[in-house]
Amino acid sequence: MTLLFALSVGVLFGSGAYLILKADLLRITVGIVLVSNAANLTLMSSALTRGQAPTYPLAPGVQVSDPLVQAMTLTALVIGFAVTALLVSVAFRVRTSSGSVDIDELSRREQETERELEREDVSV
Amino acid sequence: MPRLSHAAVPALGATALAVASFVALLAIHLGGGGAVDLPWAPTLDLRLSFAVDGLGALYGMLATGIGAVVFAYAAGYLPSHLAHQGRPAREAWRFHGAMVLFMAAMVGLVTARDLLLIFLFWDLTAVASYLLIAFDRHERESRVAALMALLVTGITAIALLIAALVLHARYGSFQLPEVLSALQPGPATTLAGALVAVAGLAKCAQAPLHFWLPRAMTAPTPVSAYLHSAAMVAAGVFLLGRFHPLLQASGPLLDVLLGIGLLSIAVGGVLALTRDNFKQLLAYSTISQYGYVVAMLGLGSARAALAASFYVIAHAIAKCALFLTAGAVTQAGGGKRLSDSGGMARAAPALAVGSGLAAAGLTGLPLTIGFFADELFFAAALQRGPGMALAAVGAAALTLAYIARFWGAIFLGPRPAGAGRASPALTVPVVVLGGLVAVGGVWVQPFAELAREAGTATFGAPDAFKPAYHLDLRAENLMALGTYALGGLIVATRVLWAPVAAGVARLGDAIGPQRIYEVSLRGLNSLSDAVHDFEVRDLRARVRPILVLAAVLVALGILATPSTATFTVGTIGTTDLPLALALAVVIGAALACTVPREHLTLVLVLSTLGFSLAVSYAFFGAPDVALVAVLVETTITLLFFGIFSLVPERVLRREARARESRRRQRINAGIGVGAGAFAFLVVWAALSTPTPEQVVAAEHVRLTPQAHGQDVVTVILADFRGLDTLVEITVVFVAVVGIATLLRRGRLA
Repeated sequence: MTLLFALSVGVLFGSGAYLILKADLLRITVGIVLVSNAANLTLMSSALTRGQAPTYPLAPGVQVSDPLVQAMTLTALVIGFAVTALLVSVAFRVRTSSGSVDIDELSRREQETERELEREDVSV
Repeated sequence: MPRLSHAAVPALGATALAVASFVALLAIHLGGGGAVDLPWAPTLDLRLSFAVDGLGALYGMLATGIGAVVFAYAAGYLPSHLAHQGRPAREAWRFHGAMVLFMAAMVGLVTARDLLLIFLFWDLTAVASYLLIAFDRHERESRVAALMALLVTGITAIALLIAALVLHARYGSFQLPEVLSALQPGPATTLAGALVAVAGLAKCAQAPLHFWLPRAMTAPTPVSAYLHSAAMVAAGVFLLGRFHPLLQASGPLLDVLLGIGLLSIAVGGVLALTRDNFKQLLAYSTISQYGYVVAMLGLGSARAALAASFYVIAHAIAKCALFLTAGAVTQAGGGKRLSDSGGMARAAPALAVGSGLAAAGLTGLPLTIGFFADELFFAAALQRGPGMALAAVGAAALTLAYIARFWGAIFLGPRPAGAGRASPALTVPVVVLGGLVAVGGVWVQPFAELAREAGTATFGAPDAFKPAYHLDLRAENLMALGTYALGGLIVATRVLWAPVAAGVARLGDAIGPQRIYEVSLRGLNSLSDAVHDFEVRDLRARVRPILVLAAVLVALGILATPSTATFTVGTIGTTDLPLALALAVVIGAALACTVPREHLTLVLVLSTLGFSLAVSYAFFGAPDVALVAVLVETTITLLFFGIFSLVPERVLRREARARESRRRQRINAGIGVGAGAFAFLVVWAALSTPTPEQVVAAEHVRLTPQAHGQDVVTVILADFRGLDTLVEITVVFVAVVGIATLLRRGRLA
């Protein structure tokens, strides 16, 4: 199982990294979701025990799943959710105000704006 | 009298405050001085320690006394200045606020005893000067001038901070008296002395860091009058006086000061002779006259310290009067330039007398305070030798020449058309200062005593020289006579030297330090532009190095610890099969995420991934995590869909058509595979070597019933690690506020 966990994490992280390198803001967001999923899965698979759910009443003699990593994963999951929602909104906002979610396009425009500002305020 | 308007309230308040501070300082000084010493940050060896000694009393009383006169002048000056520029009268609050801030910073600076306190107030004067010089902020010229003053005096202020730290490292204290009494020659002392000298010389606009001062003349006249007579520039020489024992102990530093002072006298004096603008002329004369003070501090004798202190008093009073005169004449329609001014003596006789006294004071004519200032200057120069005495006469003659030119061109000769009367509100302060110059020429005792105490505090030993009139042919008197003759000669032979002086000015403009400043500022600006352009050109080019460098670090980590990274494959029992299947779906979905071009498909694949992860969590024996994952996944999918519904379909389609170049895709794929491989290796290595103890988890399971809970995970979140959850909720709240703000306005057309 250890190998399978590591493999899943690796594939999640690799796909996430690939998507983050795309030019499209939404794909970048998806990539970040994948990377945070990789982190969550790492946390879960670092559980020292796997077995019945840690909820009373506990069946005697059966191994209990490690509750600590579950609590941590829960926290990470919720924060990851908040970050994702924020990123999606930012991407939407950028599209509304700039008409594009393509980073290359956005960079080009920002440089143009910069140059215009510079032209207005020639230094020294 | 000016009409008591809304704008006059802050001016009168500032004046009253300045008068009260002056009286308080005077009372403390006459009462033998006072000291306050409070712990500030004891663990850092910082104390709020203030004391009024001779030096502090002199500069503090100058800052508050001249301040009171200037603030009163501004009460009459500012309303018409603001009205002229079409600005609201309430801006007077901003002006006087910055003025009072400056005054407070000066008083704090001159009374502070702690090295870091001195630095703080020193920096505060730079900030206040920026606000004041850029008061006409709609004028580009003012902003550039303010920035220049801030950069020159602010960057060199860092030298003062470094000096404070060097002194603390060497002598173990931030208390200036302790440091100065423990001084020993050595490299650390010399370094600290040189750094202090740099800070002080930049502030008092000595060559080659003098160029900011003439530019700063774009400020309103009261600002120029205050900053360049009694406050900002005076702070520079104050610092040199305050740290004089350090300079004495720092080898040949005093000689450097002497050289820089003489150079500044020459540069400022020659350039002052070439200027046509009133305030420009006065600006260069300020550089020149603080050159006197720096040169005298560089002479390094008790008499020179006394002379320097006295000169600061005489110069501050007289120079302030001349600045105020320039403003009054300009407001009366008398022009801004010497070439189109003249004949104001008939239009404004009181102003002519007041500023005439001040001009006489600066040139050192008898019956003014300036005569004694020059007498002391000559006496100190004579102590050094005949060469220095000759230089002193030359310097004083140069001063006489440009001051005579200034006063003569404004008040004598034909009157230009359109010149009106000078406002009484602007004339009275000039007359008061001119009167003070004359009083000092008759009753020199109080000024001399103040200067003597300041000189003693500067040099460490008193000097008995008493300034007085002597009707005999002693050397000082002969030097004064020589000055008058030589000065008159310079005035008379203007035709001969004017082209030479203009050539020097042009040369300075072409290759002078201001040029260097501009070039380096422009260079820094383009460097910052280049870095910025490089940064924003391609975000992915920024992400890639992060991933690659992280991979390099991880690889190094794996290489450095090969023994612990024993990889175990693990076993798959029959009960593990569902989990293994769910993870296989996860792997497939993750890979599938990289394929689709349509955003909608992408989000569907993503939610497949999320739900299969939730299923795996369920098979981990974690129902809570699985439930939350389902909730989160549903919400995110809905959020994506909701946002897509706000975007017109053609936009979505256009975006789906956008393709990347093959090469870039290959690079990205390579980096993605590499990143995945490293993540795999690291996680595998980590999971292969678990810590065998399971104390914490078991403890949590055992304690859950006592926390009145059934679900261990819930109890951990709500109870054992409740604070983490609180922070988590805060993060969610902040995100919600951000999202609400981002989505509230604006739709894509």
